Formats: sequence, C-alpha cells, structure tokens
Amino acid sequence: MIKINVVKAYLKKEFSELVRSRLIIMVYLMPSMILILFGYGIKMEVYNVRTAIINYDKSQLSYRIISAFEHSRYFTAEVVNLPEEKALEMMKRAEIDLLIIIPESFEKHLLKGIKTEIGIFVDASFPFRGLTIQSYAEGVLLKEAQEVLQSRPSIVINHRNLFNQAMRDENAIVPGLLGIVFLVAPAILSALLIVREKERGTIFNFYSSPVRKTDFVIGKLSLPFLLHSVNIFIIFLWAAYLFKVPFRGNFFIYWITSEIYVLISVSIGLLVSIVARTQIVAIVLTVIITIIPGFLYSGIVMPISSMEGEAAVEAHIFPVMYYNHIIYDTFLIGQGFSSDKNLFYFFILIFYWLFITVIGVLLLRKELR
Amino acid sequence: MKAFLTVFFKELIMFFRSWGLVAVVLYSFTVDVYIAGKGFEVKPKNVSVGYVDFSNGVISNKILSHLHSPEFQKPVRFLSEEELKKALFNRDIMVGIVFDSDFEKDFFEKKAKLNVLLDATAAAQGYVTLAYLQNIVLRFGEESFPVELKTHKLFNQNADTPKFLSLAEFLSILTLITVILSSVVFVKEKESGTWDIMLLMPVDSKIIILAKSFSQIAIVMIGTVICVGIILFGVFKLPMNGSFTAFLILTLLYSFSTSGIGLFVASVAKNMLQVAQLSVIIMMPIIFLSGSWTPIYSMHPALQKLSLLSPLRYYIEGCESLFFRGTSVFDLWVNFLALFILGVVLYMFGFRKIGKLF
Repeated sequence: MIKINVVKAYLKKEFSELVRSRLIIMVYLMPSMILILFGYGIKMEVYNVRTAIINYDKSQLSYRIISAFEHSRYFTAEVVNLPEEKALEMMKRAEIDLLIIIPESFEKHLLKGIKTEIGIFVDASFPFRGLTIQSYAEGVLLKEAQEVLQSRPSIVINHRNLFNQAMRDENAIVPGLLGIVFLVAPAILSALLIVREKERGTIFNFYSSPVRKTDFVIGKLSLPFLLHSVNIFIIFLWAAYLFKVPFRGNFFIYWITSEIYVLISVSIGLLVSIVARTQIVAIVLTVIITIIPGFLYSGIVMPISSMEGEAAVEAHIFPVMYYNHIIYDTFLIGQGFSSDKNLFYFFILIFYWLFITVIGVLLLRKELR
Repeated sequence: MKAFLTVFFKELIMFFRSWGLVAVVLYSFTVDVYIAGKGFEVKPKNVSVGYVDFSNGVISNKILSHLHSPEFQKPVRFLSEEELKKALFNRDIMVGIVFDSDFEKDFFEKKAKLNVLLDATAAAQGYVTLAYLQNIVLRFGEESFPVELKTHKLFNQNADTPKFLSLAEFLSILTLITVILSSVVFVKEKESGTWDIMLLMPVDSKIIILAKSFSQIAIVMIGTVICVGIILFGVFKLPMNGSFTAFLILTLLYSFSTSGIGLFVASVAKNMLQVAQLSVIIMMPIIFLSGSWTPIYSMHPALQKLSLLSPLRYYIEGCESLFFRGTSVFDLWVNFLALFILGVVLYMFGFRKIGKLF
C-alpha cells in the first residue's frame, strides 16, 4: 500500500522549498497570465485595415463606395492619386494592407448593365488576416452595388450562431485556452521537481533509500496536482467574470474533468523527467510537447471536424481535444453527460491518465543508469 | 580575444556534449516546425456541412453542389432538424443548413430565406465560412449582376496557411530556444556557484558575458540554417523574394536582442525553475505585442506604442517582407536598426546586473 508518511514527507519538503524560493507566486501567476494575455490577445476580427483607394471614375457612385469604406470601423481608408505600380510598391513595403481600384466609367457601365470590374488587392502574406480583409472588402462593395442597383437578392441568408450568438472572440477562445494552461503549467512544474534532483545528484537519496517507486511518484506529483487544483477555480473566475464567458453547463463536470486533466498533465511531466537528465532539456521538451498540441489540436484554431489525415490522427492522440470538447460544452453548450460523446470523452480522459501514469511508473528506474 | 574564444568554444563543447539538449534543439527546429506547418489550416477548409431539405427541389440541390472541396466536405443529409441539431451540439458538423418546404416557391418570388446554423465556437472559420456562403448564394441568385470583383491575394496567392504557419512556428521556436539557452548558460553557473569564479578571473566580465551569449547565438544560427534550408524551403517551398543574406543578418540581430532578453532573465532568476517560468512570462507579452495575433494597427493606441518594444515585431515584419513581399533591404533599415538598439540596451543592462560580483 501507499505509505502515507513518505508521501507527506515529500509533500512537505517540496512545498517548503517552493515557498522559500518564492516560486509559489509563479505557480499562480503563470496560468492566469497565459489566460489573460491570450484571451485579450487573440482577435479574429481586424480593425482599421490600412486601405488605399485609387479612383479613376470620379463619379457619384465611386465617391459613395469610398465613403462607405471611410465610415466603416474596419477600414482606415485613404484615396491616393498614385499610379498602380506605386501603390503596389507601398504594399510591398507593408504600408498598406488593401488596395482598391475603381476603373474608369465604372458608374456608366454599371447603370447600363455592362459588366465592370473592381480590382481588390490584398496583402496575403498573413493568410488568415488577408482572407478576413478580403471578405470584409467584398462585403462592403457588393452591398453598395446592390443598393445602387436596387436589386434584391433572391435568397437571404438567415443565420443563427449557435453557442456564441454575438460571435464574441472571447467566448470562442477563452474556454479553449484552458486546455493549454492546464497542460503546460502542471507539466513544467512536475517535470522539474524530479529532474532537479537528477541534476543535483540528490536523486541518489531516492535510489539508496527504501522508498518505493509508487510512493516517490505520488509524493512528487501530488504537490503540482494540489497547487494546480486551486488554479482550476482561479482560472474559472477569470474566464467567467473577467472575460464574461457564459457558463451554461454543470460546474461539477467542469471541476472533475479539469482535475483529471491536471493529473494527465502532471504525469506527462513524469514522463518527461524520466527521459530528460537536465532541467533545461526538461523545460524545452515540456514546452514543445505541450504548447504545440495545445494550440494546434485543441480545436481553437481549427475545428476537429475539419481535420483530415495526419492532423486528425494526431489530434486524437493528444488529450487536449477530449478535454476541450467537454470544456466548451460546460461553458457554451451545457449538455453535460446527457450527451454520449461527452461521457465517452470523459472516460477516455480517465483511461488516458491511468495509462500514462502506469507507463511512467514502469519506466522510472530506481537505480543508476 | 583569446579569452573570448576560449569561453565561446567551451560553451559550444558543453552544448554538443549534452546529447539530450542537442536532440531537443534539433527536434524543435525540424520536426516541430514541420508538424505545426502541416498541422492545420485557419481558412475554411474541409468544413463539415449538414443539411435538412424539406423542399426537395432543384434549387436546394444546386446550392449544395456549390459546397465542394477543398473548402467544404460533402454535405451530409439529415432527416429532421433534431438530428441536425444533435450533430451540431456534438460538434460533428460546423454548419447546418435548413431548406424550408416553401423554399423553392419563395425563391421565384424573390423572398427565399436560407436558414443557416453555425457553430460559432470556431469563430475564426465561422466568420469566413459565413462570408463564403453569402458569396455563393449571391452569385447564385444574381447571375446577371454586373459588378465583378477581381480579387488578387498578393504575395501568397492561395493564402496558403502551411507556408505561413511553418514560418510562424519557426519564429516562435527561435525566440523560445534563444531566450532559454542564453539564460541557462548563466543560471547553470549561478546554481553551481561557478559564476563568481568566472567573474574573479582577470578577464573583463563583459567579454565573458558576450562570449557566452554569442556561443548560444551561434547554436541558434545553425538551427536557423537547418530549419530554413530543410523544412521551410525543402518541405513547404517557401518563396524567398528578398535577399537571403539580409534574412541571415536580420536573424543574427534578432537573436542578439532575444539573447539580451535571456540575459535579463538570467540576471533575475536564481535557478532553472525560475528561468522556465520567467521566460514564459516575459515572452508572452513579446509575442502578444508583436502583431502576430492581433495586427498592430488594430490594437489600442497605448498597446501600439508598447509594441515598439517587442523585438519580435521587427523580426516578423522583416521576415514576411523578405520571404513573401520581396521588399528591398533599404526599405527595411528601421527593422535592422531597432533590433540592434534593443539588443544593445538589453546587453548594457545585463553587463551592469550580472557582470558584477554580489
């Protein structure tokens, strides 16, 4: 059985070391900082797009289009009297992001029903931003043209945004960030707690003492687990009150899933510290194997349902996808365990944790290599 | 000079002796960038669509036939709205389309409504998908519409995200590795107590600090060449419209200013755990203010001023310009100068803070 005294002794030792070196502040600062910075930082909307318009037409209609751009908060538009090459040169120097060219006798052609063209040039060296700008610009132009022609479209799109009615970036992004926060922070802490002993050589105390592997692992890992269990509540408060993300689900489900997820992260730290011998390797390794899947395969930037091939396989290998599915549900959807998929993912997470921990304990050696 | 070279090579040897570290750095500069680049797309690609069709008409089929790859997966038919909603709630599909039973009749009377349910938790794709749908419907309904928008996406014609993302990943790996490596060379000695002995040697402490940092910069530059050569050019076929030499010089200046940040971290941190946490905490604002997530011109004016302090801002802009836009070096002098100044200032601070005993 687990020797409670051994675990307690380890807990006490690690905790007092953490408090003495004031690292405890960092344990609570880092997750909140990640959440706040990225929560405010990642914006899918783009404002004040630097726009240049070349107007060859100088008609009422072209001025109308220009003023539509000037009055939109998405654009900072300016009419430039430059030849096209000069304007493109400006884009090359990253001074403008969007260039619109209204051709000669645009209005005349339009009213006569002859096909005319408007040139839109977008800087797509930042692809997603480029696409967003393009769709904004096309939207403005088509809307103006339609109003002038007084042609009503035959189909109106009546769209409802489920789960995030206002299309707030915060609602879409903040719950997803939890998957990164609780994967990175506990893993770094738990990885370092063991590797530090390796680097300093104090790990020999463990090798030579009658402490058993399981006790050692439990003793070492319970501290990051307990400390980050508090973070689960702190992070929730930030998400719900600072970012005002609605919470529609069951708090118990949020809490229990997060605890299991923190356990997974802590055991990833255990795996890293078995492989690594120095702290620096452990840090870099942990950051790389947690942040990247945390972003890529979490569903924040790309929905899991649109993945295919390698990406889909990799997404299913990492725990983030399962956790985030449940977290998005607790925040935005609120089906809880009445949905089979949530329940299934919940068991996958439990299984995942048991699997990693068992592997970690099996691989941990109690002797000098 | 001799002292400089001795310390410089000592650090290089130390690095190459630690196989684990070499492996991790190599992995980050190759496999990791590859995974990130291949991994995902931000534009609507392969979006999963489900529909319920009560109209059973020609028009609805025609609209659905416009939803094709690569942007959309083949639309899945659901028999009732409940089933469609269930799939949306389980997030098996992203877009649900409902055709009313009167849809076809209304279409000819020009008052048709297309009900679209959008999973907006994926806001990024949500925006663009909706715009895309609107475009399809508009073009579909208005074949005689006389205005044609000729859109050109410059510098990256297909808005290829892998090209961009692999570059972005390379930038973040470069930043991460430089900060951590160059702070660790100092903190390791601090932890084992040999740093004081280094400073007691009859060599100018500035030379020791510079030699130590430049050894790490050299390692990072090797990583850069490997990453850009094999992964960015080899796998992702990134264009190089500007000058490659200018890119290398810019990278050198950037790693110089980032290792200045590492120096700052080293002067504050007492052990490796602190390095890990401090570097994450310092790097996040730098990345945040660099304009890689929110364009700088969309930021709050105060943040725009602050972003001038982020070295990544100059580097990203410079890299994008050199790789994609093909800007000439002379138009980028601001970026070179800013990185140089930031580096010098950070080093001045480092010299004062950790170049002295006690």
